[in-house]
Amino acid sequence: MNGPRHTGGWGARIAIARRDLLEFIRDRRAVFITLVMPMAMYPLLALSSTLGIRGAITELDNQRAEARLDLVLSGIDAEAFAARMAEVANRGSEPPEGWPGSFTIRMATEADAQSLLDQGAADAWIAVDQGSMAGLDGDDTVPLDVRLSSVRPPGRHVREHVVTVLRGVADDARQRRLARAGLPASLIEPIRFAFSGDEHPSGTTTLREILPTAVAAVLVLLALLTATGAFYPAIDAIAGEKERGTIETLLIAPCTAFDTVCGKFLAVFAVTLATLLANVLSIALTSSVLVRLLPLGPGSGLHAGGAAACIAVTLVAYLGVAAVAAALCLAVTAAAKSAKEAQNTLTPVVMLIAALAASALLPAAETRRWLPVVPFAGQVAVARASLGAFGDRSAADERTAAHEAAEPSGIAFGLTASLLSSALLTWLLLQLTAGLVSDEEILFRGPDAAGGGIRRPVPRTVPSIGQGFAATLAGFAALWYSQAFSPHEFVPALLVQQACAVLLPLTAIAWWQRIDARATFSLRWPGAAPSGLAATVVAAILLGVGLFLAGAAAALAVWGGDVSEEARNLAERLVDLVRSAAAWQGVLLLAVMPAVCEELLFRGWLLSAFAGERPAAKRAAAAVVVQAAAFAAFHLLPERMPQTFVLGLVLGWLTLATRSILPAMIAHAAHNATPVVLIATAKADDLEALEAGGSAALPPWVIAAAIGCLVAGGLLLAAVRVGRQAREQ
Amino acid sequence: MIEVGELVKEYRSGGGTVRAVDGVSFTVHQGEMVGLLGGNGAGKTTTMRMLATLLQPTSGTARVAGRDVRRDPLGVRRTVGYVSSTTGVPDRLTPRELLDSFGRLHGLGPNRRAERLARLADTLALGGFVDRPCGRLSSGERQRVSLARALVHDPAVLVLDEPTSTLDVLGSRDLLDLLDLLRAEGRTILLSTHRLHEIEHRCDRFLIISGGRILADGTRAALTAGRRGGLEEAFFATVQPETAS
Repeated sequence: MNGPRHTGGWGARIAIARRDLLEFIRDRRAVFITLVMPMAMYPLLALSSTLGIRGAITELDNQRAEARLDLVLSGIDAEAFAARMAEVANRGSEPPEGWPGSFTIRMATEADAQSLLDQGAADAWIAVDQGSMAGLDGDDTVPLDVRLSSVRPPGRHVREHVVTVLRGVADDARQRRLARAGLPASLIEPIRFAFSGDEHPSGTTTLREILPTAVAAVLVLLALLTATGAFYPAIDAIAGEKERGTIETLLIAPCTAFDTVCGKFLAVFAVTLATLLANVLSIALTSSVLVRLLPLGPGSGLHAGGAAACIAVTLVAYLGVAAVAAALCLAVTAAAKSAKEAQNTLTPVVMLIAALAASALLPAAETRRWLPVVPFAGQVAVARASLGAFGDRSAADERTAAHEAAEPSGIAFGLTASLLSSALLTWLLLQLTAGLVSDEEILFRGPDAAGGGIRRPVPRTVPSIGQGFAATLAGFAALWYSQAFSPHEFVPALLVQQACAVLLPLTAIAWWQRIDARATFSLRWPGAAPSGLAATVVAAILLGVGLFLAGAAAALAVWGGDVSEEARNLAERLVDLVRSAAAWQGVLLLAVMPAVCEELLFRGWLLSAFAGERPAAKRAAAAVVVQAAAFAAFHLLPERMPQTFVLGLVLGWLTLATRSILPAMIAHAAHNATPVVLIATAKADDLEALEAGGSAALPPWVIAAAIGCLVAGGLLLAAVRVGRQAREQ
Repeated sequence: MIEVGELVKEYRSGGGTVRAVDGVSFTVHQGEMVGLLGGNGAGKTTTMRMLATLLQPTSGTARVAGRDVRRDPLGVRRTVGYVSSTTGVPDRLTPRELLDSFGRLHGLGPNRRAERLARLADTLALGGFVDRPCGRLSSGERQRVSLARALVHDPAVLVLDEPTSTLDVLGSRDLLDLLDLLRAEGRTILLSTHRLHEIEHRCDRFLIISGGRILADGTRAALTAGRRGGLEEAFFATVQPETAS
């Protein structure tokens, strides 16, 4: 029997990782699904998409070859005009450039011509009035009325073809006029050009247009498939050990729970990394095959150095995908008792990863400088930008904000930010997993079936943490789905949004859980004495006004006029609403209603769910931060998130400090009412000047007023609190 | 070697708490093999899990080889070997690989690991299947591998929670013979089982636990003194005095 030995730390982590990897590679099915399937998937996808692309190109070519124009002419000079058109078309060995492949002309009366247009039997009708030909052969400008059919089949370039045909007739008339005047034809033809050399194969242009989108989609797929590499080993690592009864043996090993989790993470990360390498190898080989199969044309694709740089950047960036996916899967499966339960809990993780990765493809996403720190989206964005930086970009590319991200320095910044954020998130997830793995309730509770499925829970004073998340998810889901039936008008849309996204889910979940509404929503007066109540109300108003002014000043300083189209549209609609309605209506709709509804959800339900009934200081602080983050996310627009996050922090603290939701409602209403009052009382000239100025900074007195309001509000609240404590003693 | 004082463990259940272990106190001296006897839900497993540092006591003290389970859990883990009826072995690893990995976890060097493996394979008769995946072993063989895993770091104390419950009569006898050997080597063993007759003549002392409390602590002779029958009758008389004959 031996004395103490050095145990734990990296030695234990590596021993656990080694053991888990050994177990993983003995599971042939898991190895096949994790490593071999991706190798087969890309060739299959490429083959099917190549066939599709080639088919589409062929169809496009056929459409172009079959391009035809059915004209109908009316009027006295119609026949002579048609003859002139035919003469122009048949003058050379080939019709003039841009002429339709097939070209028919019919003569008709005006009534018949209209009828042919309405039936789609003709593409265009040209009315050639009497004297048109005389004017054409003379020195006049001949007016022609061209009407297009509204029922012509898609794919026909009627307008372009009609313009080409009429320009051909006009060129012919010009040359006739020059000849009549005894002037050389070169007078109106200073340049004559001819093309030579190899033209791109048919369909190349179309293919090159769709290629960046296809590559971006592959990067999203790569993120998703890399993450799926973590699924099987993560399920096996903790839930599988619980199922087999082997987790106890690890938890009584002489190392900390964090060491155990780190060891398991190393094993899952190694498998995920192998999945990433298998995917990248398959993509690289498949791309080489595609370059030969598809008509990409000369000079297309990446040169060898560029391709290597792109692959290197993608691999380094996707280390973050592998790490976060491995840690996330471990954290999620750590709460599961069995492999089946773990599989069920991983389903929403797949959806989350897919949604985040795909969000990097949103329009103008590459212009968001913070995008690299977003898990899964950031790595896709960095890899996509590397294609722009090291790929075959033309020197004439416009240097826009979007392209700055694709500069090598931008790549380096994005890559660093992405790796740092991935490392931080991974560490946080591993800490969470360590807590879950050694949680006695999770470790030794019965199987999930003992929960009894869907059953109305026993009444609670305040909601549980799970119910806090459930209300948040229900709110987001309602916010999304309500768009399907939300009216287009701004005011009804606002009412529907608040009712569907806040009140309905909240009412439903509160009824289901049978919570104590007074405790959950902090429905109490903030101060006992009338003076304390009045002082709290004044303090809340000052804080609300001060927070808006400070937030607006900060937003203008950071964003300036460089805000998204969505943010600009929202601001314009708000200004229109305030200017078109009475001030009280604006205050009611934009300030009072959101203050009541959103406070009930965030400072009522969420805060009490995350903080618990009698929260300790740390848990209360965490609850304030989590509900503020949800509050910020609920406002959707990235430009507004920092401001709403700070507002959420202050309102959360205000609710806990006063033990009442009313001050938060008042402060929120004052925050939202401030711009309404400012716009309603501003002169039209001032507003126009502000709109024209775009990024104009707020005057110094506004910043001074903001600071004054915040300080005065804070001091007033502190005084109320001191008074209350004195009374309580 | 094991000193337990006023040990309490409470669980959350529904809206309230359940006291699974309610002020348990006992001592197991070095080289002793002590049987912890009790019905289902008596508090045996919870007590043993606290001694193995799998559960945190709500209050009270527990020391294993002089180390406090709350203050020095890693120290306790270095000196204790734990096996329960639900402890499994990984199906896809061989006993050799399993013991090697736990040897690494306990900080043993390559030579020491090889030496321990050879010793355990000899003592526990693992030789015939040491390179066969554990998934292909019988329940008796798996339980022997599990015991080998608990012994790989040469612990001074063994905590065994119903180690024979999955074994047949022959397998149980083999395992208990092994425990006799281990006690002879000077190890301290705390053992729980429902099969009282199996350990009646093997343990030095018995602790009878019911409702989370120790109701009796003594040798077989002391517990059966003045009563007809053996340990089983003494157990019934202790936990259900009103129904005892």
